Amino acid sequence: MSTHSQEHSIQHYYEGDQSKLYSGIINHAHHGVNSEESKNQVKRIWKIFWILLVITVAEVIMGMFFSHQLPKPLVAFFFLGLTLLKAGYIVAIFMHLGDEFKGFIITVLIPLFLFIWFIIAFLADGGFWLRMNNESQARHNSAVQEVSHE
Amino acid sequence: MSQTTVVTAAPEPKLWGGGRSPFNVSYGKMMTWFFLLSDALTFGAFLISYGTTRFFSAVWPDANQVFKSFPGLGEHNVPLLFVSLMTFILIMSSVTMVLAVHAGHYGDKKNVAKWLLWTIIGGICFLSCQAWEWTHLHGELGGLWGSFTDPNTPLDQFQHFFSHKSQAFVEANPLVAMQSTHEFFNYFFTITGFHGGHVTSGVIFNILILVNTVNGVYERRGHYEMVEKIGLYWHFVDLVWVFVFTCFYLL
Repeated sequence: MSTHSQEHSIQHYYEGDQSKLYSGIINHAHHGVNSEESKNQVKRIWKIFWILLVITVAEVIMGMFFSHQLPKPLVAFFFLGLTLLKAGYIVAIFMHLGDEFKGFIITVLIPLFLFIWFIIAFLADGGFWLRMNNESQARHNSAVQEVSHE
Repeated sequence: MSQTTVVTAAPEPKLWGGGRSPFNVSYGKMMTWFFLLSDALTFGAFLISYGTTRFFSAVWPDANQVFKSFPGLGEHNVPLLFVSLMTFILIMSSVTMVLAVHAGHYGDKKNVAKWLLWTIIGGICFLSCQAWEWTHLHGELGGLWGSFTDPNTPLDQFQHFFSHKSQAFVEANPLVAMQSTHEFFNYFFTITGFHGGHVTSGVIFNILILVNTVNGVYERRGHYEMVEKIGLYWHFVDLVWVFVFTCFYLL
């Protein structure tokens, strides 16, 4: 019967304020904020802070001193890679997405894969129009030249 | 007999069988995530639109030439320094926010209030930096949106926004360069303005939950999930800044 009464109380939470069920307070509160578990969590947060800071400093040094000498695609991959790394740490650790159920992680992340297509399609379109502009400009210029030679 | 009933009466309930959240998150928190997802698509659309315009342009202003001022340093040439400070402030406020969320998990009212207060201070510092940057650019451009539309604008008003490598092209095609400058600043003010709007509302939300925390609203409720939800929003704002920082100041 004890299982039944426990289920009943969970049902009660579910129908009332579900947040109590899922906000972690039932699991955490009895450990206390000074417990080993809590301290490890805080340590992890500060570790991520230092990682984010080091990545940002590396980006700024690259941007200040080296990004103009190196080939452009290399610089772009360097910055975009580090940006995605930073974003990953923020989402996984600070937003606690890494601690959620796998199904929920996938549900949140899948729509973002649309961006791969968006970025490829739109940037390619921008580049294409620049080429069209340049070519028609060049054709126009050579036509003007021919007319003036005649 | 009674033993077998006990064994069969407590099977692991099915994940999708009802009676509990299959994702182990409450409705409110899940919907916060989906709201942030839609907001990510909005910011993504802005940034991709910016990228498309940049790919379409034959020449583009150089961030190291546009953003090289620092308050109190006059006309010293310190590219990226000020925006690095802004980035540091925002990362720092993200840390204090996640510490508030952490304290909330343990029902530690005093620490929730303390870290929320630091987060609000960080948010206000960031907004002050942005206000200075916008004011500075306003003085330099003579406006915010819609500057550089007059074809008779003298070249020396926008030539200095371009890198040394681009100078020859800019001098040969001043109208192309002016158009790029116009678009660069329009996108800059739209995107950082939209982000700044998010920071502003984040600060307001943080003030509201700080008042609720201090008044014991969440203590009586038995959990600090509202701090967690506002925390998600605040971290998202930091996340967007990571991308804005890369697209406008680094690339």
